[in-house]
Amino acid sequence: MPGAKGGQGLVEPIVLVTPGIALLFGAFLFPVGQILVLSVVPSGEELGAWSNFARFFADDYYLRVAWRTFRLSLLITAATALIGFPLAYAMARAPRWLAFLLLLLTVLPLMTSVVVRTFGWMMVLGRGGPVTDLLMLFGLSARSAVLLQTETGIVVAMVQVLLPFMVLTTLGVIAGIHPHLEEAARTMGAGFYRTLRHVVLPLSLPGLVSGSLLVFAISMSSFITPNLIGGVRLPVMASAIYQQAIHTLDWGFAAAQSTLLLIAVLGLLVPYLALMRRARV
Amino acid sequence: MVGRFPPSALVLGGLALALILVFMLLPLGVVVAASLTAGQFLTFPPQGLSFRWYGDVLASEAYLSSAWTSLKVATLVTIAATVIGTAAAIGLSRRRLPGRALLAGVFLSPLVLPSIIFGIGLLIVFSIWGNGPSLLALALGHTVLTMPYVVRTVAAVLADADPAIEEAARTMGAGPVDRLRFVVLPQAKGGILAGAFFAFNVSFDEAVIALFLRTPGVETLPMRIYGQLEFSPTPAVAAVSTLMILMTILVVVAIERSLGLRKVAT
Repeated sequence: MPGAKGGQGLVEPIVLVTPGIALLFGAFLFPVGQILVLSVVPSGEELGAWSNFARFFADDYYLRVAWRTFRLSLLITAATALIGFPLAYAMARAPRWLAFLLLLLTVLPLMTSVVVRTFGWMMVLGRGGPVTDLLMLFGLSARSAVLLQTETGIVVAMVQVLLPFMVLTTLGVIAGIHPHLEEAARTMGAGFYRTLRHVVLPLSLPGLVSGSLLVFAISMSSFITPNLIGGVRLPVMASAIYQQAIHTLDWGFAAAQSTLLLIAVLGLLVPYLALMRRARV
Repeated sequence: MVGRFPPSALVLGGLALALILVFMLLPLGVVVAASLTAGQFLTFPPQGLSFRWYGDVLASEAYLSSAWTSLKVATLVTIAATVIGTAAAIGLSRRRLPGRALLAGVFLSPLVLPSIIFGIGLLIVFSIWGNGPSLLALALGHTVLTMPYVVRTVAAVLADADPAIEEAARTMGAGPVDRLRFVVLPQAKGGILAGAFFAFNVSFDEAVIALFLRTPGVETLPMRIYGQLEFSPTPAVAAVSTLMILMTILVVVAIERSLGLRKVAT
């Protein structure tokens, strides 16, 4: 009974969550907080507290890298939304066996190591790969066109890597739209496409928006795929951070760039989490 | 009733789905195909068919030691993340816990924070206060990263579990430990298993934190592959990658059996 057992009842859940909270504080919030500290604290004697940020905004190179990251993320997000919506709709409305098959073929690539998937794209987009052959076959490209080390190549590979996030987020919302709503629109004389556009699409918008925020946030901070596909000529923010942290060993500057990236990503994820919570209730 | 989907939508939709599926599976298929080449070089389509590159991989000291490292880390991580994550999910499922929603958000936060930022943070912390990156440091990072998956799958199962059973056990005189052991854990079993498989898979495949915490002694399988990709990959890389794809398929099957993909995915 709540009154009698109240005190004892509170002990059990607190004991159960404590190890997890300890782990998160010690091994997650502390390292991430360390970055924030390091980004502000001066790295050299003669430098001021915010010098790392000043350096970022004064340097044309880093601004161009940030702009490329932003631009590519926008393209990737738009493409995943465009492809993801019909796929999620099909998954929600298809017969059981087909829906399961589609789910399987979405989850399997998602759970495969990103290194392996990127390796696949390196072969597909590289010299002598199927895409090159196809382009030559249709006469779209005179000589062996290579999408490796191009921005197009990064976008193509990243869309495949991130599409599952868009599809699964949108699927959760579309699955909650009652089919009767569509049937009602159809009975009233609206065609299939009109129903899709004026009934399903507006109702799926929370899923599409939160999926887009998630995909955008992940692509802003992605490292493995853009780095391997784009190479050194096309660095994104994550590769610049890696470069500073591992090769130049300028932790202060790497931390400052991480902080900027973190601010950008959190600015997207807070609305994402709010949307997800509302969709769940 | 009129047909729900007009023929044009079925044809267009079917075509679009087929294209999307080709797009999704293309990189995996190319890797598998290239691993079967009998030739000397990495090509698609492969030249001839053979398993020679698999033999190469299994005879390679470098690949085997990386696989062993990955296995050690993933096993440690799976045990730690499953135990801590399950406990947390059960605690979070108790209505009387104050601030549940906020706590749940904190527990899921490693899922959304960019792992590059987490990775560099771990590197800095272990370099300043420890002796630099190590296998244990990597395992700690992966435990943080995978615990949310366990919390999510266990919480999903407990949300559907019948609370009356535990209430009945309590009325019959079962103490908190017995109730956990004989009621709650059996109820959560499917979620715990699925979460454990998830944790193992994520840790075994993870590449960003492993990259930051990479040392000559601690090189996981994805890192070995990554290193090869930066230079000139041989068909052996395709063979290792194919083995990793096969392992992922096994994990997906295990998750489907223990909890159901649909429940986990959305």
